[in-house]
Amino acid sequence: MKLMRPRSLQARLLVMTMGLVVVIWVGVAFVTWVSARHELDELLDGHLAQAAALLVVQQIEAEDADEVADAPSLHKYAPRVAFQVFHGGHLVMRSANAGTAPMTAKGLGFATEWFHDGREWRVFSTRGAQQDIRVYVGEQTASRREILRAVLLSMLLPVMFALPLLALMLWWAVRQGLDPLRHLSMVLGQRRPQALEPVALDKMPSEMRPMVSALNGLLERIESMVKAERRFTADAAHELRTPIAAIRAQAQVALGAGSDAAQRDHALQYTLAGCDRATRLVEQLLTLARLEAEPATPAPSAVPVNLSGVARRVAADLAPAAMARRQSIELEADAPCLVAGDDVLIGVMVRNLVDNAIRYSPDGARVLLVVTTEAGHPVLRVEDSGPGMTDQEIAHLGERFYRVMGNDQTGSGLGWSIVRRLADALGVEIQVTRSGPLGGLAVEVRWPAQ
Amino acid sequence: MRILLAEDDPMLGDGLRAGLRQLGFQVDWVRDGVAAERELGTGDYAAAVLDIGLPQKDGLEVLQALRQRRIVTPVLILTARDAVPDRILGLDLGADDYVVKPVDLHELGARLRSLVRRAHGQVQDVLHCGAVVLDPSARQVRLEGESVALSTREFDLLHVLMLNAGRVMSREQLEQQLYSWGYEVESNAIEVHIHHLRRKLFPDVIQTVRGIGYTVPRTQDSP
Repeated sequence: MKLMRPRSLQARLLVMTMGLVVVIWVGVAFVTWVSARHELDELLDGHLAQAAALLVVQQIEAEDADEVADAPSLHKYAPRVAFQVFHGGHLVMRSANAGTAPMTAKGLGFATEWFHDGREWRVFSTRGAQQDIRVYVGEQTASRREILRAVLLSMLLPVMFALPLLALMLWWAVRQGLDPLRHLSMVLGQRRPQALEPVALDKMPSEMRPMVSALNGLLERIESMVKAERRFTADAAHELRTPIAAIRAQAQVALGAGSDAAQRDHALQYTLAGCDRATRLVEQLLTLARLEAEPATPAPSAVPVNLSGVARRVAADLAPAAMARRQSIELEADAPCLVAGDDVLIGVMVRNLVDNAIRYSPDGARVLLVVTTEAGHPVLRVEDSGPGMTDQEIAHLGERFYRVMGNDQTGSGLGWSIVRRLADALGVEIQVTRSGPLGGLAVEVRWPAQ
Repeated sequence: MRILLAEDDPMLGDGLRAGLRQLGFQVDWVRDGVAAERELGTGDYAAAVLDIGLPQKDGLEVLQALRQRRIVTPVLILTARDAVPDRILGLDLGADDYVVKPVDLHELGARLRSLVRRAHGQVQDVLHCGAVVLDPSARQVRLEGESVALSTREFDLLHVLMLNAGRVMSREQLEQQLYSWGYEVESNAIEVHIHHLRRKLFPDVIQTVRGIGYTVPRTQDSP
């Protein structure tokens, strides 16, 4: 059987408390009943034995009586008690309600018998010192039960009346006790969605503190997330302003060029290039936004990714862009190199690294992609023969929208943010140094040892 | 009117330079803060368009350094930062105007003309000198109501002289104000243009101060 659990804390506390009170009361009543019955039995049995003893003594004094005497009934309870006195096997005295046969066939002492009147009797039998006198004293057990019932009722009746009153008082007390909870829900309910400041802990009952602390922690995390989101939106909007301003200016120049066809063509070319640049920026922003929405460590795909394959694919994709600037792009990946992780994410990361190398190296530069294993660590390295970076510039890398100053490239600095974020997601280490063989920048991605 | 454009974005800088040239400005373009400060330090520019996020030296730092050196060239800040505190900071540091990207080229031109006019104490856009009326936005000169056809250089020269009405301008000052880098400046170009102006308008419109330079007299009806 499935128990219905009340959804309200108040109802739950009330039901549980009242249930326990009833159980305890019933238990107490049961114990009282058992012990009262025991005491009553002992007392009344004692009376029976006493009455029997009196009858025996009386018989010794009046030995000569021949007739069967019926004792008068003197009390309304008299029909409930009975006695018989036998002398030498003959019934000599009895109460009016006693039969002529001995009350019990059992031996001396106490016995419980069903009489012909259909009632249960408690019987005590004994005999005199001279063996010929035998006395039976009986009492209806029903009277004992009546006494017990009266005792129990006197105990339980007040409780019956007290229980509803107790329930009412408990309901009020529980309600008072739960007041801080209601207050908290009211405070939270009235909050504006933007209000993310922590809930004051000082007046909270100690039981609620862990919960409210956890809630405050959650609020804090939400706030920092919202702030990051807001900053990202603002940064993104600012970053988009410059390409849009360039597109607008170039378009206006084209409109105003008049008969100067060369100027108009130049301005229109730049307008198109500006659109491409804005598109790329939007793509990067979307990539970054998607990455930030994902959990820090996505479950790596069950199939290991071949790093050499990814590098070859990216190099092939970006080769036309490099060739357009007379740059050479080379791949050194002899053996397959298997790593854990998502091949799409790894692809995006490698692509950004190679794209950066092409973009920030001068025309005619060399870009080298190396996939190898060093001391058990799979390593991917992107090197170029470009101008490299100062230590200070390297320290700033990966700050959103940070751009190395003084180059003609129209990057946004977002590529590095994406790479950093992907490195976190993939659990890989990234190191930026000066390239030994090529003299420019070397970016090394190191996977944990397999 | 000679303008310094300090903008590090190659595409935007190219567009602004071309657009402002179409509007009749002489534009010099620098791409970093150090160069901007150096060029503005010469005092040869009628006004400057300054981006804030410049390499090597932030645009606001450039502005602050200029104002500390008492260089009062009007500066228009052109930036992507649109928050009110940014605007206030820019204006408090000595900027004369604050424009958020993207901007309409014609509006940018009008704002620059307005900055230059106010820097010369002129309230009206249209300049008067006796019977000569010069309208910078329409790039038109009228003599007694009749439109006079002037070449770009002649117009600019008259514009500079009328902006500085009552002041004597040396030939070097006029050359600096008029010609942007990369233009071949012939030794007697100013004299030739002045000669043409006198012929097209009337001889006394520009007066020669011997050994010093040229001036346009300040007239009653120019406020």
